[in-house]
Amino acid sequence: MNNKIPNFVKTNQFGLLILVIVFICIFSFSTDGFTSRFNIYALSRVVALDIMIGLAMMVVILTGGLNLSLGALGVSAAMFGGWCMESMGIPISITIILVLAFGSFLGWINGFVTVRTGVHSFIVTLATMSIYFGFMTLLTEAEAFRKLPEAFTNFGSLKLFNKYISPLLIISVLTCFVLYYIFKYTDIGRKLIAAGANPDAAELSGISVDRMFIYCHMLSGFLAALAGIMLTARIGAAIPSMAGHLGFDWLLPAFLAPVLGGTLLSGGKVTVFGTMLGAILVTLINNGLYLIDVGEFWVRFFLGIILLGAVLLDRAREYFTVKNSIVS
Amino acid sequence: MSDYILELNNITKNFPGVKALDNANFKLKKKSIHALLGENGAGKSTLIKIITGVYNQNEGKLFLNNQEKSFSSPNEAMNAGISVVHQERNLIRRFSVGENLMLTNLPKNNLGLIDYNTVAKESKKWLDIMELDIDPNTIVSDLTVAKMQLCEIAKALSLESKILLLDEPTSSLSPQDTKNLFALLKRLVAEQNVSIVFVSHKLEEVFEICDEVTVLRDGKNACESEQITNLNRQKLVKLMIGRDEQIIKSKKDIDFTDENLLDLQSINTDLGHKNINLNLKKGEILGLYGLVGAGRTELIKCVLGLDKINSGQILLNNKEIKIKSPKDALEKYKIGYISEDRKKEGLILMHDVLSNAGITVWSNLKKILSFLNDNIVYNKVDPYVKQLEVKTPSYQQIVSNLSGGNQQKISVAKWLASGTDILFIDEPTVGIDIKTKSYLHELIIELSLKGTSIILITSDMPEMISLADRIITMKDFKVVGETINNHSYEEMSSSIMSNIHE
Repeated sequence: MNNKIPNFVKTNQFGLLILVIVFICIFSFSTDGFTSRFNIYALSRVVALDIMIGLAMMVVILTGGLNLSLGALGVSAAMFGGWCMESMGIPISITIILVLAFGSFLGWINGFVTVRTGVHSFIVTLATMSIYFGFMTLLTEAEAFRKLPEAFTNFGSLKLFNKYISPLLIISVLTCFVLYYIFKYTDIGRKLIAAGANPDAAELSGISVDRMFIYCHMLSGFLAALAGIMLTARIGAAIPSMAGHLGFDWLLPAFLAPVLGGTLLSGGKVTVFGTMLGAILVTLINNGLYLIDVGEFWVRFFLGIILLGAVLLDRAREYFTVKNSIVS
Repeated sequence: MSDYILELNNITKNFPGVKALDNANFKLKKKSIHALLGENGAGKSTLIKIITGVYNQNEGKLFLNNQEKSFSSPNEAMNAGISVVHQERNLIRRFSVGENLMLTNLPKNNLGLIDYNTVAKESKKWLDIMELDIDPNTIVSDLTVAKMQLCEIAKALSLESKILLLDEPTSSLSPQDTKNLFALLKRLVAEQNVSIVFVSHKLEEVFEICDEVTVLRDGKNACESEQITNLNRQKLVKLMIGRDEQIIKSKKDIDFTDENLLDLQSINTDLGHKNINLNLKKGEILGLYGLVGAGRTELIKCVLGLDKINSGQILLNNKEIKIKSPKDALEKYKIGYISEDRKKEGLILMHDVLSNAGITVWSNLKKILSFLNDNIVYNKVDPYVKQLEVKTPSYQQIVSNLSGGNQQKISVAKWLASGTDILFIDEPTVGIDIKTKSYLHELIIELSLKGTSIILITSDMPEMISLADRIITMKDFKVVGETINNHSYEEMSSSIMSNIHE
């Protein structure tokens, strides 16, 4: 049946793409300044971060788990980076490598504890969220690092493509391609997905499921740390509260992007570009609502409603569209 | 007036692209046990779903007690007195037997709370009818598998069902439990005015208890309400598969004085195995027979490193090995395991054919930087998928959409592709149609002739006797007997059963 309709049209991403276009149209016509150079540039800076933290959550959702420590972890890594550059005078490139390694290490802790105790990652990361954030606040005495190297902060405010696009967005999009490649074209990516889809079957097929789950958490930590660096570059300083208390501000977009994008909450399916589109949609709605000036609380209200809707969609998806390809 | 309690005439059911039923008839006499047979995909389950109101037919009529009916939901069918007892248990494991039996109509006291005394009394009534010695207050999960099955039937009876559909009711029962079940079914028919539709792949059982047989093939009647006395096994198989059954026997000369390939020496495990000794020769099919709960699958899982071995040794080619995980077993020692539970442990149902068939070979196939694409995997697994004649529209098909037989073929294909020296094969043909079953039997023999050594776990005695070279009997996590198989059913089965009941 329906052989004439190209497969892409039946996917979740296509629906998202339509929604994105619809919202762009609505906001372009109903608000002033939505399409202005300034607003598009600002959007590109925000969406870059939302994509990255969406991906960071996605790789843990893949295991059927979640990572509540995402925000705390990202900020901790960013603060570590601030300390490296400002207090220790470590060069930018080395700092970035150290920060990413540090983020991966914190992710490893999440994964290791989850796998070893058999406790759901919800509880584990709830605990580590508090631990990471508490420790970071203690060590930094809640002070920000504001004297970062100029080369670093300049990068954050660079404007490309006729001053429309932030380089941060390019990093995020590149990351999407790399992740897509990993999941689609590598042995390890396939094993990550298999382990997430059915741990018992994967284990009996000769895959070390525990190791795969730890890899997912490490990857999550890596991406969260990358998001932390990007945020630091964007605001030109490393501030303990830049993702809200305990990193809460990151959680809503972190869930919204992958779930809207078509990643199954029960694990075993990733949608890298779906997550990207999901993040774009969230940012659009956020930004548009601010421009319409409905007020902060309404924005949160709507995002909450969208998340609930997306979760319902997730349930429906488990029944109907598992038939689509596993990596998309 | 006819003496049929249930009559389906000229039923046609179309699914997109498939005619699942094509003018099929089914007539159930009052107080009879009627076998509904057919290969997987012949239309049995579609017919059952029409009877129970899950589907509606496109054409044809359904009569219940000579009245035309059409059920729009399973609930309506149930209220009309039609109950299904599925292969999968429908009991709530943490509830008591009584609560499960009375679930749809729990008695309440004056305060509107559940009246547990009445629950126990009412449910006891049904258990007594079935002469079941079970306390209604027992929690279901404490029952044996066989008793759970019987409770399901009691539950159906308590709904005042006059028609019972039993779908593979004996698949997890021991021979003794099966005997008891059959005695009970005969009694229900005689005393409770119940009519039974019996679906099974085990033809011996059909001859044992059924009065009449209806066979479906490709959605049509291959025969309709045939008296069982007019049939024999060969005729029945021919009706089902459209050709004669090939009897397969392993003909091999294994020199049992050869060196052992795999040797378990006085293994004690965390799960309770006591002093297990067994060995496997090269190219041998070693059968592990035992009742459900004898600890066979558990032993294999301990060997694979999934559960702990407390003492004893595993020797491979006379060298001691320590297997830490199935990954270890596959990659270091070339040992594979085909699980008995293909849906939970054998396959990733939500993934496609290609990734299921290729999962064991990814590690071997990966190029530099772990690169791997579909084409590389396809080239490796395609010969095996073709060899096994897996019927799938494409490699991108999601495995859960395939029939049970094809799913099983894929879970076998992935191990063929991995090229292991030793294969543990656990209940390879449960719920599989005859054609696929004999195909898998041939394959297992062929594999062993080519030098793969196999430990075969099966509860299907004929299967064991036609395939194994040597049969080890297990009971209560111990080895209780070892016999060289001479492929004579009578001799071997009595020898095995005497080992178990000693």
